[in-house]
Amino acid sequence: MTSTHIAQVKRARRLSHDAGWGYLMVAPTILGLIILNIYPFFHSFYMSFSETMLFGNWEWVGLDNYRKMFSDPNMWRATGNTLYFVLLTVPLGIFLALAFASMLNSQIKGRDALRAIYFLPMIVAPAAIAMVWKWLYNTEYGLINQFLSLLIGDDVKINWISNPKLALPAAAIVAIWSSIGYDIILLLAGLQAIPRSYYEAADIDGANFISKFFHITIPMVSPTMFFVLIMRLMAALKQFDLVYMMITDTNPAFQQSQTLMYLFYRESFQVGNKGYASALVLWTFVIILAFTAIQFVGQKKWVHYDQ
Amino acid sequence: MKTRFLALFLILGLVLSLAACGGSASTTAAAGGQAATTAAPAGDSGEKVKLTFGIWDSYQKPGMEALAAAYTAKNPNVTIEVQVTGWDEYWTKLEAAASGGELPDIFWMHTNEFVKYASNNMLVDVTNLYDGATDAGYSNFPEGLVKNFTYDGKLYGVPKDWDTIGLAYNKEIFDQAGVKYPDDTWTWDTLVEAAKTIKEKTGIYGFAAPYDDQQGFLNTVYQAGGFTVADGKTGYNTDATKMGLAYYISLQKDYDFSPTQEQFADADAGTLFQSGQVAMQFLGSWNITPYMNNEDIKGKFDIAILPKATNPVSGEGRASIYNGLAYATSTKGKNQAAALEFLKFLGTKEANIIHGESGAAIPAFNGTSETWLTKFPELNLKAYTDMMEYGIQFPGSKTKSKWGPIEKQTIMEVYNGTLTVDEAVAKLETEVGAILATE
Repeated sequence: MTSTHIAQVKRARRLSHDAGWGYLMVAPTILGLIILNIYPFFHSFYMSFSETMLFGNWEWVGLDNYRKMFSDPNMWRATGNTLYFVLLTVPLGIFLALAFASMLNSQIKGRDALRAIYFLPMIVAPAAIAMVWKWLYNTEYGLINQFLSLLIGDDVKINWISNPKLALPAAAIVAIWSSIGYDIILLLAGLQAIPRSYYEAADIDGANFISKFFHITIPMVSPTMFFVLIMRLMAALKQFDLVYMMITDTNPAFQQSQTLMYLFYRESFQVGNKGYASALVLWTFVIILAFTAIQFVGQKKWVHYDQ
Repeated sequence: MKTRFLALFLILGLVLSLAACGGSASTTAAAGGQAATTAAPAGDSGEKVKLTFGIWDSYQKPGMEALAAAYTAKNPNVTIEVQVTGWDEYWTKLEAAASGGELPDIFWMHTNEFVKYASNNMLVDVTNLYDGATDAGYSNFPEGLVKNFTYDGKLYGVPKDWDTIGLAYNKEIFDQAGVKYPDDTWTWDTLVEAAKTIKEKTGIYGFAAPYDDQQGFLNTVYQAGGFTVADGKTGYNTDATKMGLAYYISLQKDYDFSPTQEQFADADAGTLFQSGQVAMQFLGSWNITPYMNNEDIKGKFDIAILPKATNPVSGEGRASIYNGLAYATSTKGKNQAAALEFLKFLGTKEANIIHGESGAAIPAFNGTSETWLTKFPELNLKAYTDMMEYGIQFPGSKTKSKWGPIEKQTIMEVYNGTLTVDEAVAKLETEVGAILATE
């Protein structure tokens, strides 16, 4: 037996030894993922083909839940409301996040303090945010109507959260406000990774601010923007907490504001149709999957990864 | 390339976590219930036993703790921990706990949910709990309450309390408008006239008429002689039900003396009444303790019986929705023997007096309701107990969790103006009827 052979065996042993440690280290996360995410996912899928009775009993009903779902006007309305919410929050949210991130990336006064301030809403519980905004939106005493009254010198009585046309946009404003800090931090990191030399080269070539923004900043920050876009899309498609806290089921705007997750919650925990609720979740899953797939195909046109 | 894979992986994880939320929520709730029962095997042999006691009303916690303390004083080996969970979460948690066989040792039961638990063998049959006892027994409770917690001829809970709906009014606003306080001569018309006058004279809303069932349209429906659901049948599409429903909805829609559904979305009727912005509301007796704890309204309001229907289709025009709770214990409880002993105590006169004096709610034991009246002698709480004479049990059935939301959504459409009362009752007759047929 040669010494090199012995060394090889030793190394192989150490490798498998190291691999064992590796598995041990990731076990808590993987187990958590299996127990809390992967198993429930398949269980939800299974449940969507059954009618759940009380106390964990169920009966196999095949496609009944799906048949019921696609002929349920509430489901289509909720789907429409959810897509509308995406439209309201995603483009504007990302645009504002990028604008603020660019601002915070420049040499402005109090930059660090501003960065902290913009991030603040992220650390507040969504339920607390919804309660505070509900007061701001209050028709009679809300600060928003008071401020508008001062501004135009007339009594403003806008029913922010009970007018069917305004309730979802009002919730969208809160959603953007509460998530923008997180997006700003992500985009700021992306902006800071852009080498200064690119801008210097552009300056020498005589490029102005606009062309620098579109030809250097946007392409360079596009991988981060793509990530933010996907995150924001999913968050918007899964909207529940803000709408649930601000718009109750006796609100006149309820039908025009009920999102898919809100409908799921009501079916699952209030009505007790867990099977039907599982079908609703699967439907939401399909929508999110479709949106994500489109993004992954579409990204080839605008996302630049440095190889 | 690396970045792209990382992004893909993260996104997959997020997508999975969405689809997973269906199942995982109930798993965590079950875990919560599991932690609740931690005690040694039961018995009256002097072993230490710790019982858990699940309730949903934090205002009644001191009352329940007083009962627990009184029991522990006599049975030093038993300690009882009162656990409060808010109303909505209470039922989610209780169902998950029941599925996992981990219910609290003693818990409150509501008529909305009772049949569901009793018919699935979750509750211990307590019909014979007081056999051989001389000073206690179910004959001491109002018949209606005992019937509420009877399923298939067996009793599954010890009656705890009952409640009715009264007319709460703000004396200061009435004085300001120069309107006579409500009394037993009031009818539907008197209510409308008084509310109109108050609005005209003071500018303050005369009456709060939000969408509500127990503290709202159900009272007027039964006053008119109608019914919604009774004995597995629907009564929506009858002249009397329509009359009661139309009257209650008109209080908000046809006059300007009530805030609108839009305004109730900003602040509910209770908040408006307690801050002196409306002069009257229908108020359940369980709200008295919280109202009396609020310095803003304490001393300014009083209670009268509900006005009677002006021209009821049938009957005297009187009704007030009543409901009651019971204490129950689980068939799978590990401390069942000890829990049953405590349950037995809760149904005694002594326990009901402690309950009443704490002000928690009107105790169920006949003749002990006086103890609740004395908690706030300055209020005319007798209005609540007087109405028990013509009290109507809050409608329910085994499938209420399914037809309840339909009732709410359909009647809300009348408020929103997309359905008329006639269309709504016709729709309810068919849709609720179809669900009742599955029972």
